Amino acid sequence: MSTAINSESNSYTKTITVAVLLALLLIFSFTSLRHETWLRLYEFFLWLETTPFGVIGKTWGAVFAVVEAVHLLAMALLGGAVIVSDARLLGWCFTEVPAGEIQDRAHKVFKIGLAVVLFTGVFMACGVAGKIYWLPVFWYKMLALATGIFFVFFIRRPMLKRDLDELNPRVVKLVAISSLLVWATVAATGRWIGFAGS
Amino acid sequence: MNQFIFDIAVMLDNTQWSTLLHESYYMYNWVESTHVLTLVLCLGMLFLIDLRMLGYAFPGVPASSIADRLNMPMLIGFIVMFITGILLFYAVPVRTSQSVWFRFKMVLLVAAAVNAFMFHKRMNESVSTWDNDAKAPSAVRMGAILSLTFWSIIVIFGRFIAYDWFDCEYTDAGSLSQLLSGCINGQAQF
Repeated sequence: MSTAINSESNSYTKTITVAVLLALLLIFSFTSLRHETWLRLYEFFLWLETTPFGVIGKTWGAVFAVVEAVHLLAMALLGGAVIVSDARLLGWCFTEVPAGEIQDRAHKVFKIGLAVVLFTGVFMACGVAGKIYWLPVFWYKMLALATGIFFVFFIRRPMLKRDLDELNPRVVKLVAISSLLVWATVAATGRWIGFAGS
Repeated sequence: MNQFIFDIAVMLDNTQWSTLLHESYYMYNWVESTHVLTLVLCLGMLFLIDLRMLGYAFPGVPASSIADRLNMPMLIGFIVMFITGILLFYAVPVRTSQSVWFRFKMVLLVAAAVNAFMFHKRMNESVSTWDNDAKAPSAVRMGAILSLTFWSIIVIFGRFIAYDWFDCEYTDAGSLSQLLSGCINGQAQF
């Protein structure tokens, strides 16, 4: 009985937290706060170009190109993990294997892919910080990436730690489709930075 | 041989569709984005199959199950990636055909294809004896390591094609770079 009450109050806390975060995000997006923050970040972006990553990225084109390729390879690893785990949730593959087994294993691969994507992404951003600062698509990508990370660690993972049979199958499928769309958006907007910056 | 490749590239370059594709900002970028997104699909599946054979991913799932289920999305990704790759070549045929990176990439693609054939042959011959083992036998693991290596270098060289370090117009006549790139008449024509 007390476990049920705890679990219920815990879920209310999470709902309220998400609602507060959404409210803060809306306030940030639709007030002058967003523009002011963006203006303040310019100095930071210029500083990024002076860091060792920025200097290496700007000086050695070959290093930058190799890091770009590693970024892409890590994105493939991350994408593979996302596709397999979401396809399992949608019932498209590995239905004979317990969903938890696939989710846990895929999540380990996902975390490695994400770590490499973030590291190489920061390296590349430092090399061209003064340019990408002015590109709307770069900020869309950051928004998509932040959404993806938040979605995985604060919504998808906590939800999948519960017994899937207890969850509404439509909610599970909705989460899987949302996950696929978010990460496809991250990849597509990331590629578009190259076009917009050229 | 280089003259023949050059003549074909010039012929493609002179077609209206090649120019339209090259000049269209959105069309070209969509083709390239699709190339990259399907690369994520194809290599994502390939990496998981290879990592399973090496014991790093999904060790609790039978190896044959991983290979069978992920082969189809991998092939779909590869086919779209291949078609968009041809379109990217068609949009800029002369420069691309004289890119040393593109030429290396094509050789490695053939090597990766031969390795994939050998990998599946070895796997299908013996999978029933080690299907539930965390690691595949050494011959299959070697195929997986080669596959990961070939595809990683293919992606790196594919990325290098965009850079002009060894373009014919920037290198010395008679140099090794020009020899490997098969330079003919510089790259005045795109």
